[in-house]
Amino acid sequence: VLKCWMNGSQVKVFGKAVQTVARVSEALWLDPSEKGLALRSVNSCHSTYGYVLFSPVFFQHYQWSASATVTDNDIPLNLNCKLAIKSILPIFRCLTSLERNVEKCRIFTRSDKCKVVFQFFCRHGLKRTHNVSFEESQPLKTLLEKNMCTNLLMINPRLLTEAIVLLTSNQEDVTFAVTPGNFCLKNSSEESLDLTSSVYSEMFFGPEEFDFFQVGFDTEITFCFKELKGILTFSEAIHAPISIYFDLPGKPVILSIDDMLLEANFILATLSDYPSKASSPQSLCLSQARRSDWTLSSAKASKSRNSQAPESISRTAAKRLFPKDPSKSSSTVETKRASVNGDDISEVPETVVSDTEAGPGSSHPTKFSCFGAFYSEQQEHVSHPLDSLAIASDSEEDASGR
Amino acid sequence: MKFRAKIVDAACLNHFTRVSNMIAKLAKTCSLRISPDKLNFILSDKLASGGVSMWCELEQENFFSEFQMEGVSAENNEIYLELTSENLSRALKTAQNARALKIKLTNKHFPCLTVSVELFSSSSSSRIVTHDIPIKVISNSVSIYLPALKTMKSVVEKMKNISNHLVIEANLNGELNLKIETELVCVTTHFKDLGNPPSCNTSQDRRPEDMAEVHVDIKKLLQFLAGQQVTPTRALCNIVSNRIVHFDLLHEDVSLQYFIPALS
Repeated sequence: VLKCWMNGSQVKVFGKAVQTVARVSEALWLDPSEKGLALRSVNSCHSTYGYVLFSPVFFQHYQWSASATVTDNDIPLNLNCKLAIKSILPIFRCLTSLERNVEKCRIFTRSDKCKVVFQFFCRHGLKRTHNVSFEESQPLKTLLEKNMCTNLLMINPRLLTEAIVLLTSNQEDVTFAVTPGNFCLKNSSEESLDLTSSVYSEMFFGPEEFDFFQVGFDTEITFCFKELKGILTFSEAIHAPISIYFDLPGKPVILSIDDMLLEANFILATLSDYPSKASSPQSLCLSQARRSDWTLSSAKASKSRNSQAPESISRTAAKRLFPKDPSKSSSTVETKRASVNGDDISEVPETVVSDTEAGPGSSHPTKFSCFGAFYSEQQEHVSHPLDSLAIASDSEEDASGR
Repeated sequence: MKFRAKIVDAACLNHFTRVSNMIAKLAKTCSLRISPDKLNFILSDKLASGGVSMWCELEQENFFSEFQMEGVSAENNEIYLELTSENLSRALKTAQNARALKIKLTNKHFPCLTVSVELFSSSSSSRIVTHDIPIKVISNSVSIYLPALKTMKSVVEKMKNISNHLVIEANLNGELNLKIETELVCVTTHFKDLGNPPSCNTSQDRRPEDMAEVHVDIKKLLQFLAGQQVTPTRALCNIVSNRIVHFDLLHEDVSLQYFIPALS
């Protein structure tokens, strides 16, 4: 059971977070816990993961009590609240007017009716109530550790926003190139330019422009432009610097905002360096058509797979431990992998993700490598030896599968 | 071929940006002719007859604090490029509050006009933004002395009755042809031994008999020829294949330049 209250200016920040996380996909998870209230979303091709956690001190009042425990271990059952974006986004559309008019906002859950209630107590005695239905569903979480990344930059988001505006680009991707001496923001390089190509632009920043500049080795990462813009806007709105954690191309980049009151992490897939695999799309942001090809091929691939030990083990383990509820699982193809929708929970180590992509007939490029390592919380409840096996395979050295 | 230029004055930069914006609004692609003392922007959008054509000339010393160029050859000291107008205006938008702007011709993977902007930034160091604008270097250009304008005019007047457009072609052997072609008939008038000005492109890899040709609206050509009452001291034309024909007349101390863009 969740109960929390906010004032007008807190609603504005909360609403901004909702808007930013809402850009990721069609659904958003509301995940309250004793740590605070988290918003999570992941897109269907698993190239973008958004997470914002509001700590209890952010709210005027925050109360979370777990409902009855289910397992023998007395571990509380989390509220797994999946909301449709089109239900929640309209509530937080006009943030400036919300900030002006709302005196208090109450959010509470009614698990008996599977609803989250947003109540706005506005000026002039007006009270607005929104009852939003949710679907019980396990959110995906990520195992990635920021501290495992070699490169870390922290900067005032305003500077990056200005830079991005100047990149005269209608391209979909942006590239960060770092050396120990400088940082370069540029369009992703195209091998062959012709008269119809767009302009190739570069902008250099010196280390002194950053609040923190740590570069382990020279590297270049390329990822989706649009996603970066959304996150920078959020960072500017809450007046906090943005931290950028990254590593080799192909490994995801983590854009992080760490404030006393909230913590936000956006994990974006980056273009991998491996030219051998498949056709190379110019952009990471796959079109809908490509996405469906990919999920189909991954289904085929997974069926034929016997050799990839970790994957098959974890999957069978999952099946044994958590019987699938057929009524809940939607897209059957997707549930074979790290499931977003259904109750089919499987731990998907990083290697699995890339191996899936290399499956037969797969036209999906490995370049689109994700930050596999998704798991669902219920795994924690059962310490199965196979779990650790799956986790162990998610190591940085294990890039051989690609 | 080399070109580098620099603008440091804010007013000049704004002015140059405004010119570029205007051109971007008028045509998708434009030709840029760089010569030692001027820049010409020429609309090379292929225009149907009745359309508007434009060329724009800037005296380089009114804008640039530094300007160096080296054309194809010593005799033909000009650079002729084609680019997407919007690319240039967008790149210049970056330079709104710049300390300095540099433009130069580069060839990384592809010939480009590189616009390099030095911005003021909050810290002591300035920030540098570069934009590589892809360009196409235009060659196939022939300069030739014109025959008697009265003769040309009477020929073209007769041709006007047969066709709306005409082909002007010339080569480095001093030959110029005016051709019209319809379903029923083709008519060509040949002019020989006209001579080519010394500034002609000799270093290019082309045979002297190769023709550079351009299709133009007959009415526009006639308008130009009809306007010439007096025999000029010097008359020549420069044909850039499929792009534009440029007539350069000198009457005593009055210089007249007439550009006719190619038809689509």
